[in-house]
Amino acid sequence: MRLTTKFTLWYFGIMLVVLLIGGAIVYYEIQWKISRVEVVRHQRLNDIIAQQIRQGGDYTEHPTRKRATITPIPEDSVPVGVASFYTRGTGWNPEFQANEYKLVVTSFYTINGSHYRITTYSFIPSFYQLLPGVVDSFKWILLLLLVLVVISGGLISKYILAPFKRTMRMIQSFDLKQKASIHLPRTRTSEFRELNEFLTKMTDKAREDYQSLKEFTENASHELQTPTAIIRGKLDLLMESDIRDEQAILIAEMQNALERLSRIHSSLTLLTKLENKEYEAKEPVCISRLMREALSAFAELMEMKSLTLQTDIEDKIYVPLHASLADLLLSNLVSNAIRHNAPVTNQNLIFVSLNREGLVIANTGREPQVPTTELFERFKKGNPGSDSIGIGLAIVRQICDLSHFDINYEFRSGLHIVAISFQPRLSASKLLQNLSLPLQSTLQP
Amino acid sequence: MKVLIIEDNQELARNIHDFLGREGYICETSETLEGAKEKLGFFQYDCILLDIGLPDGNGISLLNLIRAEHKESNVLIISAKNALDDKIIGLEKGADDYITKPFHLAELHARIRAVYRRKNLGGASIVEFNEISLNTDTFEARINDTLLDTTPKEFDLLLYFLVNKNRVLSRQAIAAHLWGDYTDNLANFDFVYQHVKNLRRKISGAGGMDYISTVYGLGYKFNSHKQE
Repeated sequence: MRLTTKFTLWYFGIMLVVLLIGGAIVYYEIQWKISRVEVVRHQRLNDIIAQQIRQGGDYTEHPTRKRATITPIPEDSVPVGVASFYTRGTGWNPEFQANEYKLVVTSFYTINGSHYRITTYSFIPSFYQLLPGVVDSFKWILLLLLVLVVISGGLISKYILAPFKRTMRMIQSFDLKQKASIHLPRTRTSEFRELNEFLTKMTDKAREDYQSLKEFTENASHELQTPTAIIRGKLDLLMESDIRDEQAILIAEMQNALERLSRIHSSLTLLTKLENKEYEAKEPVCISRLMREALSAFAELMEMKSLTLQTDIEDKIYVPLHASLADLLLSNLVSNAIRHNAPVTNQNLIFVSLNREGLVIANTGREPQVPTTELFERFKKGNPGSDSIGIGLAIVRQICDLSHFDINYEFRSGLHIVAISFQPRLSASKLLQNLSLPLQSTLQP
Repeated sequence: MKVLIIEDNQELARNIHDFLGREGYICETSETLEGAKEKLGFFQYDCILLDIGLPDGNGISLLNLIRAEHKESNVLIISAKNALDDKIIGLEKGADDYITKPFHLAELHARIRAVYRRKNLGGASIVEFNEISLNTDTFEARINDTLLDTTPKEFDLLLYFLVNKNRVLSRQAIAAHLWGDYTDNLANFDFVYQHVKNLRRKISGAGGMDYISTVYGLGYKFNSHKQE
C-alpha cells in the first residue's frame, strides 16, 4: 500500500472518530442550550407573574397566564434554598394533539407574607427531531473533508515526498563499483536529511569496503602470483641443467604441486571476483556459437578418449552473460563431462542440448560417492582420487547464481546430467522433461 | 633480438633474462618506470616485456610513450592481475599480447616469437627447422614437401617445440600452452602424452627425423642436434 494511501486512510479514520465525538458534543450542546434559553425565558415570565400578583389586579385573561398555574402554598412546603427548578419530559400538547417535549419551570415566591408556587410550561422541539439535522450536517462535513484529504494528500505528499523519491531513485542507480560518492538532493525536511546523511555514509562505507576488498584480492593475487612465477621459472631453468633422474622426479613433483597451487589460487581469485560482481554482462552473448567453439576446442580430447558426442544445438541463442564467463562456464562443463567420463554399457557418451530455455550437458560416468548437490561446493570431488582440484563446478554455480540461471545436477541411470535454465522462472529440472533427444533411449542396453 | 624487461621483481627479471639469454637474445632489465623511460630514450628494442604493477606507477602509462616513439617494438604485458580491465586497456593502448603470472618461461618465449612473427615478418610467416616447415598463417606443417595431417593442437604443439628447441618442456607447460589456464584438470597430462605420441608418429611417417625425445620424469624436449 502506498504511503499516501495509508496516510489518507489513517486521517480519514481519525476524522471519523473526531466527527462522531464532535457530533455527539454538538447534539448535547444544542439540546442543553435550547433548554437553558427556555428555562431563562420561563423564569422571567414567572417573575413577571409574581410582579403582577404583588401589584394586585386581575390578570386572569392576560397572555402571561396562558400556560401558568399559580398555587398558594403553606410555608412549610417552600423548599429551602431553591428559588426555582425545571423538569423536562414528554407531555400531551392539546393544541397540536400530539405528545411533545414539554419543559416545566416552577418558581417559588413570597409575596406580602404569602407563599406562591408559579409554574409555567412550553413545548420545545424534541431532541430526537434535532438529531437528523446534526447527522446530516456532519455527513456533509465528512464528505467535504474526505474529498479535501484525498486531493490534498495526493498533492502534498507529492510535494513533501519528492526528496524521498529522488533519494530512492539515486539509491536504485547506486553501483558499488562507482568511484564517486552518491550525491543526494538537498532537502529541508529533517527526517529526509537524516536519511540522506545516513545513506551517504552507508554507501560510502560500502564503496570503501568493496574497494578495499577488491584491492586486497588484487594484491593477494599479485603478491602470490609473483613468487609462484619465480619458483616456476627457477624450476624451468633447473630442468635444463644437468640433473639426475631422481632429481628430475623431485622437480616434476614440485611442478605438479606448483601447478595445483597456481590453479587453486587463480580459481579462488576468480570466485571472489565473481562474488564481487566484477563481470557484468554488457550485452547478450551468442551462447550457441560459444558452445560450438568449446566443443571444437575439446574435439581432440573427445576423440582421444573415443567419446561419442551427440548435440542438439539451436542457432542464435543469446543469453545475458559476460563473454568470458560464458566461455568459462561452457569449457568447465565440457571438460568435466570429458574428464569424468566412464563407459556405461560399453558406451562413452557426451550429450549436449542447447535451446532457448536452457542447456543440458550429460555424460556417462561412474556413480558419484557424494550427493550431486554437494559437488557444487568448493573442493568437493565426486572421486577423491581424481587429479582435479574440485573447484570447476563451484565456479559454474557461481556464474549461474550471478546470472540468475537455475542449475541442477543429477545422476540417473549411469548419466551425469547438468541442466542450466536460462529463464529465471523455469526450474532447471524441468528442462530434462522436454528434451528433443530422449536421454534414456540413447543408452542402448 | 633485443629485449627490454621492465619488471620490478629482480628474481623474476633474472629468470626471464637467463632463459632468453640462452636463446641468444640481448636482454636489459629495468625495475622502474623511470629507468625504463631512460633506456627507451637511448635504445631501440625488438621486444618490450612490461609489468603492469611497478613501484613508481602503472606500466600501462608507459604504453603511450612506447607507441609514440618505438613503433617497431613489440610490447608484451606481464601482469599478476588477471583483471580483464588491464587486459582490454593494455591491448587497446597498443600492447601486442598479454601474459598472466605465473607463466612458464617457454610460454613467454613462444608468445614473444609469435608476436615477433606477426609484426616483423609480415605476410606469410614460415617457421622452419631442417626438413620441418610450419606456416603459421595456414596452419600447414610440412616435412620436406610432404604435407602433415596434423590437428590444430598438434600443430600448436609442434610450433611450441620448434620455438623452444633444446629446452625441456614440462608436461605442465605443454598442457597450459595447449589448453590455457582454466582447465582445472591435471589429468590433461595423459592427453599431452597422446598428442606428443601422435605428433612423433606423424613426423616419422612423413620421413622426418624424430627430434622429440622424452625427458625422464619431466616432459619432452625437441633435440635439434639429433643425428641419425
